[in-house]
Amino acid sequence: MRRPQDIALEEADMTTIVGLTSAFESLASMRISQTKTQVLQSQAFFNEIWHIYSQLRIDSLFRFGRSEDEKIIKKSLFIAVTAEGGFSGDIDQKLISVLLKDYDPAKHDLIIIGHHGAVQLAQLKVEFMKSYKLPEKDDHINVQPLIEYVKKYQSTRVYYQTYVSLTVQDVKRIELNSAVQLAGTQAGGADEIISEETYIFEPNAYAVVGHLERSMMEITLSQVILDSKLAQYASRFRAMTVAHDRAGESLADLHTLYNRTKRNIADERLKEILNGRKKVTV
Amino acid sequence: MADDKDEKPDETPPVQDTTVEKDSSGKAGSKGAAQMHIRVASPFKVFFDSNALSLSGENATGPFDILPRHHNFISLLNECELAIKTHTGVTKVRISSGIMHVKADQVIIFLNV
Repeated sequence: MRRPQDIALEEADMTTIVGLTSAFESLASMRISQTKTQVLQSQAFFNEIWHIYSQLRIDSLFRFGRSEDEKIIKKSLFIAVTAEGGFSGDIDQKLISVLLKDYDPAKHDLIIIGHHGAVQLAQLKVEFMKSYKLPEKDDHINVQPLIEYVKKYQSTRVYYQTYVSLTVQDVKRIELNSAVQLAGTQAGGADEIISEETYIFEPNAYAVVGHLERSMMEITLSQVILDSKLAQYASRFRAMTVAHDRAGESLADLHTLYNRTKRNIADERLKEILNGRKKVTV
Repeated sequence: MADDKDEKPDETPPVQDTTVEKDSSGKAGSKGAAQMHIRVASPFKVFFDSNALSLSGENATGPFDILPRHHNFISLLNECELAIKTHTGVTKVRISSGIMHVKADQVIIFLNV
């Protein structure tokens, strides 16, 4: 039989785990709330840029910020956004599996964001062109190096984890240019036309249009990364909730065991006293 | 691009910094002077959002100033220190890049894009 002191020590450890999991749960919940706010801010910013772009657009083609004579690679670029480390559950495996169903090295080039995804691809012996760390901070996501690659390719498809709810995260794939245009359509149309007759441009209208297109792609890609991080925070929240519940149950079991053991010892002593008393009276 | 591939992902895209400092020691214009509304924002942060007397910055052509009643203007901005003069002083915002839209005394500067 275990000694009550040992059980009390284990109970103290379990109390610490309950406290820690509760703290991590709160932390994940806080990050979810912050990230959601940032997604909204970023969307409002995108809408303002789209508003100018839609008034300025020369034609309906989205040129990825490329100049007219820029040569493009006749392949598609795949970008996969995965988690940086542990606590991400099985969602990254699901993402890699969806990606590999579409992936053909002859037709596609691959860039991976997040260490977890890079490791999984390496284990599967899948070659990728470049890998980046998932940005640690949520308010300074610089995607310019990625956009430089995006500009060179005919089309770009992004695979990422998406936040459906606190308990549900899913894998999503989007074509970057259609995502930009869809976001723009939701932002609303132009109310007037901006032209060289009514505006001064510096350096010129084409450069401004190119810059706006690159900017909108950067914002869309940042939002995808934010959405992916949101899903990861939700996954972490869910894992911590489960861990917190289990630790709470274990703590309750340990407490019951502690009381039972103490009671058994007390009963044992009582029995010994009663037996001793019987012997004395006999 | 195969030689670009790393054993482990170790490349974090550089962070673009924007700093704001306020100097109230300089003389500002008279309170009756014409003003325009200026907003300086990045996707996740607003650095300045208020009325002002003038704005100084730099584009490909060189340094420029924007005053109230400026002609409609769209410009790409170079890395520079924006100086926004208000009644209370001058606010300086260091930027790495941006785009500016001026129309009807409303100035919007989109940073880090």
